[in-house]
Amino acid sequence: MKRAALGLAILLAPTVAAPAQGLPPGYPVDYQAIIAGAEQEGSVGVYSTTDSASADALLKDFRALYPKVQVKYYDLNSTEVYNRYLSETAANAETADVLWSGSMDLQLKLVADGHAATYRSPESAKMPKWAVYEDRAWGTTFEPLVIAYNKRLLPADAVPNSHADLLRLLKDKPQLFAGGKLTTYDPEKSGFAFMLMTQDEKYFAKFWELAAAFGHGTGRFYPSSGTMIERITSGEHLLGFNVIGSYVVLRQRKDPDLGLVYPADYVLVMSRLAFITKNARRPNAGKLFLDYLLSARAQKIMANQATLFSLREDVEGPHSAAALTKELGDRLKPIPADMGLLAALAPAKRLAMLRKWQETARAQ
Amino acid sequence: MTWFRLPTVVILAVLVLLPIGLVVYQSFLDEPFFSAVARFSLSSYEFILGEPDFARAFVTTLALAAGMTAIAVPFGGVLAFLVVRTDLPGKSLIEPALLVPIVLSPIVIAFGYVVAIGPVGFASLALKKLIGFVPWNLYSFASLVIIAGLTHVPHVYLFSSASLRKLNLELEEQARVMGAPPWRVALTVSLPLAWPALVYSGVLIFFLGFELFGLPLIIGDPANVLVLTTYLFKLTNILGTPSYQLMAVVVVAIALVTLPLVYLQRYLLRMAERYVTMGGRGVQSRPLRLGPWRWAALAAIVLWLLVAIGLPLSGVLLRAFVSRWGEGINPFETLTLQNFVDLAEHPSLIDGIINTFLLATVGAAAAVAVYASIALATHRWKSRFVAMVDYLVLLPRSLPGLVAGLAFLWVFLFVPYLGVLRSSLVGLWLAYSVVWLAFGLRIISATLSQIAPELEQAARVTGASPGRALRDVTLPLIRFGLVGCWLLCFMIFVREYSTGVYLQGPGTEVLGPLIVSLFGGGSLELVAALSVVNVGLVAAGLALALRIGVRI
Repeated sequence: MKRAALGLAILLAPTVAAPAQGLPPGYPVDYQAIIAGAEQEGSVGVYSTTDSASADALLKDFRALYPKVQVKYYDLNSTEVYNRYLSETAANAETADVLWSGSMDLQLKLVADGHAATYRSPESAKMPKWAVYEDRAWGTTFEPLVIAYNKRLLPADAVPNSHADLLRLLKDKPQLFAGGKLTTYDPEKSGFAFMLMTQDEKYFAKFWELAAAFGHGTGRFYPSSGTMIERITSGEHLLGFNVIGSYVVLRQRKDPDLGLVYPADYVLVMSRLAFITKNARRPNAGKLFLDYLLSARAQKIMANQATLFSLREDVEGPHSAAALTKELGDRLKPIPADMGLLAALAPAKRLAMLRKWQETARAQ
Repeated sequence: MTWFRLPTVVILAVLVLLPIGLVVYQSFLDEPFFSAVARFSLSSYEFILGEPDFARAFVTTLALAAGMTAIAVPFGGVLAFLVVRTDLPGKSLIEPALLVPIVLSPIVIAFGYVVAIGPVGFASLALKKLIGFVPWNLYSFASLVIIAGLTHVPHVYLFSSASLRKLNLELEEQARVMGAPPWRVALTVSLPLAWPALVYSGVLIFFLGFELFGLPLIIGDPANVLVLTTYLFKLTNILGTPSYQLMAVVVVAIALVTLPLVYLQRYLLRMAERYVTMGGRGVQSRPLRLGPWRWAALAAIVLWLLVAIGLPLSGVLLRAFVSRWGEGINPFETLTLQNFVDLAEHPSLIDGIINTFLLATVGAAAAVAVYASIALATHRWKSRFVAMVDYLVLLPRSLPGLVAGLAFLWVFLFVPYLGVLRSSLVGLWLAYSVVWLAFGLRIISATLSQIAPELEQAARVTGASPGRALRDVTLPLIRFGLVGCWLLCFMIFVREYSTGVYLQGPGTEVLGPLIVSLFGGGSLELVAALSVVNVGLVAAGLALALRIGVRI
C-alpha cells in the first residue's frame, strides 16, 4: 500500500511539486522524483559524529530548503555510529539513512562490507576524485590537522613550523615541554588517531623518533580534539600536535591566545565521509540529504559559518579547500577515501603498531 | 504470597539475565553474535588473559575499589550518624549540599577538579603564587582513590541515614544516661544497628569501583593508571573495529567478582539478624547532644564538603562563567554569560530537560515501586530463591557504562516484542532501573531488615492476610527507605548517561548523554554551563520538596 502511494507520488511529482520546489541548479529534471519521494518519506535519519552545535546551521538551512523533510539527527561518537548502525541492521530494525562520520576507516570498512547503497549523485563531478569512493561514499569536508599552541605561554621563537621542526625542538630543548606540556591524539583510545598515525608514518620518516620524544612524561594523550584544545588554552599544555583544524578555528573566535600552525613540510587533511545505507527505509530522503551536504549551498555554510572547512573547489570562503590550497598548495596531503585505509585495520598490524607506541610515546 | 513472590522473582531474573546473558554468550564467540559467521571460540579468553595490561588493570581496579570503600563507608556512616542522630549545627544546609556529587556526572566532577586543582587550576595557581610551587599532583593513583572515596560518601550517607532515622532512639538515650560519651554511643549502639546499611553500601561502593570510568580516565590516565574500564575503552579500538567478544570477556571477569562479594555480604548480614530494632514501641526523643564535640564534628564535615564538593563544583562554576581560564589569566576579566546563551541555542536542550525531569521524577517513583515489590517479595521468605536474588541483584552493575548501553540496545533489538521500547522513554527507564537495581533495592532492604517480626505477626494474629500485613504494617515502617530510594534514583537518573547513549533518539534526548556527547566534542564550556543548570534545577527541586515537608 505504502509503496503504491510512493509510486503515485513519484509519478505525480513533476507536475505537483515543481512549482513549489525548484530544482537545485544544474540537477537533472528527474531529480524532481527524488524530492517528491523524500517529501513522501517525510524524514531522514542521520547518525553523525559532527556535533549538533556545528551541524546546526546546516540542518536549519536544509529545513528551510525542504520543509517537508524532517532531519532526525543523532549526535554520536564514531564507535557509537558504527555499533548502533551495525546492530540495528543485523536485527533488521529501523536505522539511519545516512551515516556521516570523520572516522574514515570505519566508514570505509562498512562500505567494503556492503553496507552502502550505490548512488550517482549529481554533485559527484564537483568533488575532488580522492574524496569519492565509487558512487558509494563521499567526503564532505576538508579539515587540516594542525599544530595548536598557547600564544600566551609558548615563546614566539619556540613555535615549531613543521613536523621536523617540532622534533628538533623536542630534542634541543626537552625541558620546554617536560612534565606533560605537550599533547596529541591518543591512538590507543581513538581509532581516528590511529589512522592519523599511519598517515604520519607515511609522510614523515622520523615519525617514531617524534613519538619517542613524546615519551618520559612529555606528552599527554586524549581521545578528542576538544579536550586537547581546552587544555592548551588553559596552559596545562603548551602545544598540541595533530589537532583538527576546524575545532581550532572555532575556538580562536573566542580565544585570541590560541595559535595555529600549518606544518611547512606537510599538512594532513581529513574529510568526514557520508554514505547512504544499503537498507535505508527512506532512500530518497537519504539521497536528498547527501546531495545537500555536497551542494555548493551547504558547502558555503561550512566555509563561512560552520567552520567545518568546505571540500568543493568551486566554493570560496575563509574556511575552504580553495583558500587552503591557495595558501599551502601541494603541502596538503588529503587522506584519500579508498580501501588502502583498511590495511590499518588488520589486527596484527595494529597490535604491533600500538605496542610500538606504548614503547615510545608511553615510555616511563 | 507465593503467587506474588515467585512471578516477581522470575521477572527480575529475566530482566537481569537478558542483557548479562547476551554478553556472556558473546564472550564465547569469535565474531559479533549477530554475525552469520560467528563461531564458538575461546580465543577471546585467550587473548584477554594473555594481555599483561588486563592483569595490571584488574589489580589496579581491586586496589581502587578497596581504597575508595575504605574511605567512603566509614565517613558516610559517621556523617549519617552525626546528621541524623545528633544536635549537629547547620544540618539543614549540609543535607542538600552533600547530595551534589550524586547529581553530577563523574566526568564533570573530574573536570571540575582539573579546573580547581589541576596543574593550572585556579587553586593550584593561587597557591603557587603564595609558596612558589604546587604541593599536590592531581594526576596520580593516590588522588584518584581519595577523590573516588570522598565523592562516594553521599551514597553511603543515603543508605545509612535511611536506616538510622527509624532506629529506636531509646537505645542511644539509655547509653547516654549511663554516661557513655557520644563516640562510644555511636560505636557500640548505633553502628551495630546500622550494620545492614553499611554492609550493603560497602558492597555496592566496592563494586562501583569496578565501574568507575570518568574519574580514572581524567585523573588516572595521565599518570598511566590503567583500570578495567579504561582498558575496556582501549579494547573498543585495539583491533580496528569494536570487538564485542573481547569487551564481553572483561565484563565476565567483572561479573565473577560479584560471587565472592555477595557471599561476603550474606555472611556479614547473617551476623546482623540479631540486631532487629524496630520493636513495638517507638518513642520520639531528642537528638543526642554532642556538647563541645559538635563544633569539631562540624569542622570535619565542612572540610569534607570543601574537598569533595566545593572544589569540583567551584571548578565547574568557574568554567561555566568564563570564556577562558588557566595560567596567566585573571578569571575576573573573562567573566561572561555567553556560555549560557550558547547552551540555550542547543537544539536538544529543551527536550533534554523535559525528558530528564520526567525520568527523574515519575521514572524514579516507578522504579521505587518496582524495587519495593522485589524487596517485599523476598521479605521473610525462607527459600533458596532469596539467595539467588541476592546474587542476581548485583549482576547488572557488572556492565560498565561502555557496554551497558550496547547490551540494552541488543536486548531491545533482538528479543522479540521488545522492539517497541527502543528509542522510547519507557525503554530508557527500564534500562536505568535494571542497571541501578542494586542501589535502589538495597536501600529498601536495609530498612526492611530492621523491622521486628512481631509487628507483622501481630497483624497476622488479628486476622490480616500476609498481603495486608505487608501493606498496612511493613510498608509504612520502611517509608524512610522508600523516600531515600526515590531520592537516590532521582539523582542517579538525572546524571546517568552510558545506558542512554544507544537508547535515546530525536525527541527522547536526556541530559546525561548530552553532557557526555558535548564533552566528547570538546565543548567544555557548554558541559560546565549545562552542569550548573542541572545542579540548579535539582537544588530547586530539593528545596521545594523540603518546603512541602519531604524529609531526606
